[in-house]
Amino acid sequence: MSRLIDVENLTLQFDTDEGRITAVDDVSFSLEAGEVMGLVGESGSGKSVTAKSLMKLNPRNAIYGPETKITLHLDDGPVDVMSLQNDREMKVVRGGAISLIFQEPMASFAPAISIGDQMVEQLMIHTDFSKAQSKELSIEMLDRVGISDPSTRFGQYAFELSGGMRQRAMIAMALSTKPKLLIADEPTTALDVTIQAQVIDLMKDLVAEFGMGIVFITHDLGVIAQTADKVAVMYLGKLVEQGTVRDVIRNPAHPYTRGLIAALPTLDDIDAPLTPIPGDIPSPLERPPGCVYNTRCQEVVGARCAAEVPAFSEVQPGHTAACHIFDPTEGTA
Amino acid sequence: MVQFLRFATIRAALAFFTLCLVSFIVFSLMELVPGDCAERYLAFKNSQGAQISIADIEAERARLGLDRPYLQRWTSWIWNAFQGEFGDSCILRLNINQLLGQKVWLSIGICLGSLFLAYLIAIPVGIIAATSRNPFLNNGLRIVSYLGLALPNFLLALMIMLFSTVFFGDSLTGLFSPEYRDAPWDWPKIKDFLSHVWLPVFILGWSATAFAIQTVRALMSDEISKLYVTAAAARGVSGRRLLMRYPARHALSPIINSLGFDLNRIFNELPIVALILTLTEAGSLLIEALARSNDQQLAGAIIFFLTGSIIAINFITDIALAIVDPRIRRSILG
Repeated sequence: MSRLIDVENLTLQFDTDEGRITAVDDVSFSLEAGEVMGLVGESGSGKSVTAKSLMKLNPRNAIYGPETKITLHLDDGPVDVMSLQNDREMKVVRGGAISLIFQEPMASFAPAISIGDQMVEQLMIHTDFSKAQSKELSIEMLDRVGISDPSTRFGQYAFELSGGMRQRAMIAMALSTKPKLLIADEPTTALDVTIQAQVIDLMKDLVAEFGMGIVFITHDLGVIAQTADKVAVMYLGKLVEQGTVRDVIRNPAHPYTRGLIAALPTLDDIDAPLTPIPGDIPSPLERPPGCVYNTRCQEVVGARCAAEVPAFSEVQPGHTAACHIFDPTEGTA
Repeated sequence: MVQFLRFATIRAALAFFTLCLVSFIVFSLMELVPGDCAERYLAFKNSQGAQISIADIEAERARLGLDRPYLQRWTSWIWNAFQGEFGDSCILRLNINQLLGQKVWLSIGICLGSLFLAYLIAIPVGIIAATSRNPFLNNGLRIVSYLGLALPNFLLALMIMLFSTVFFGDSLTGLFSPEYRDAPWDWPKIKDFLSHVWLPVFILGWSATAFAIQTVRALMSDEISKLYVTAAAARGVSGRRLLMRYPARHALSPIINSLGFDLNRIFNELPIVALILTLTEAGSLLIEALARSNDQQLAGAIIFFLTGSIIAINFITDIALAIVDPRIRRSILG
């Protein structure tokens, strides 16, 4: 496998009326071609903002940290995403080498433009195809994602399709330009469970076929277990744990990950009480000092949790967590 | 296409029905005013010194057909109205068509001109205001726009007249120079007309523009923050194409919707401006007919024209919406 993207020290703040909010704090990860990475965390943990940073798609009040470095390795050389300035340069990462699928397929299609027109538009921007060729390819893609009667669907509008159908069309559109990286931002959250499974299977098939990398954002660990090769757990803009799916879900190391897994309802024992993580995710305006999780953590190991930002420690090969539990430099534990 | 024609026909029928209903309401309201046309006319003659008896009034009533039942009079009135025949004015004893002449069309033209001017300015300015982050531009537009909303039309008209009288010695009133007033339409008369008509169009358009800018700006800001715009940007759509094809295109439907409403407002403001600028248009004639002479026939005819044009604009916007917005189109065509 070859390296697809390197994200190093991604820090992102928003300038707002209430002050400067840190949305993403020193996040680093990388992804190989053909690999699926799950990005997990509660709402407000900065998953979507992280994903959008990969295509520099955040609003104008976003300020990237000076250390931030995002490198996309394409066939004709690496692309430094942060150095892309104008819209023309950013085409490479917007819909070209990277495609983005949103949670709400209904809201992400323009309501008064037909699905076909939007697909053709994207192809015309990123390829040398003629209009007729673009249409042909679009219909072919709609067919590939399992949409029946694709040439009719091509001329229809988002409101005329069912929820699952819309998300399939979205996937077809996202993949039509053969991106190297697909970012799926909670692509199945708005769908029925049965449709969810279909869409996930479809995505897995297409990844295998196209050999691209996927960043799969979700708060649903069940979906991650089915889809991803590796997982990164995010809390309040910081990565707290990274590793393979098997390692992280079987042996969660960080107290937050353990809390997330314990909070999952289980079908084996329907009378078992749910065990939510106590407290709420703090406002990004009041980020706790030290470890961001220390205000809710059940396993605080001493004063340094609220004073010192924990570094990543290797729990087992390829599995790291940022928690003072694993950092033996001081014997406070 | 057949379905579209069916939709258009149904809408046209509805518009026609509304027009009849409005005319009935207008007719009924006129009827509520004490005294009828015969009495008023003869009372008017009496004041001129003629001797009038009850028998004279009855005879006049019979002559005008006022002794017929109410509904019958309304149906015959509306029947004639649709044929473009409004009878004689009660007080002035003149054929209403002659009396109104082009005035109705001038009024409708002024209003449509103001509406057109308003949106011609408001659409680009509103889009710029919604997308620009320049605080000077934004605040400047806000001030101009609040001025437009807050400054009454008649005051603006008076100020312009005063200014122009003091500095140019011309009060800018009227729609024609005296020598063209009764002349047939030809090129010099059109030029003369245009040199006068810009002022009422500007004054009426001023507040309408302010209002329309707020509408367009609000609608654009709404659309810009929607997910489909971000999604389009994520696909590589950028610049003007992104702006025009996505938020602007989608703000169009509600803008079309607001057209009928705005025309209505302009119509309501026209008579006051017309009064100040001494325009010979239908609005001031309507005030005259309603307030002074209580001339039922004349007022009815003018209101019929005005409501007719508002209903027509609404009919046109309905059709335009169906063409522009696929959601509406599909709900019609199935």
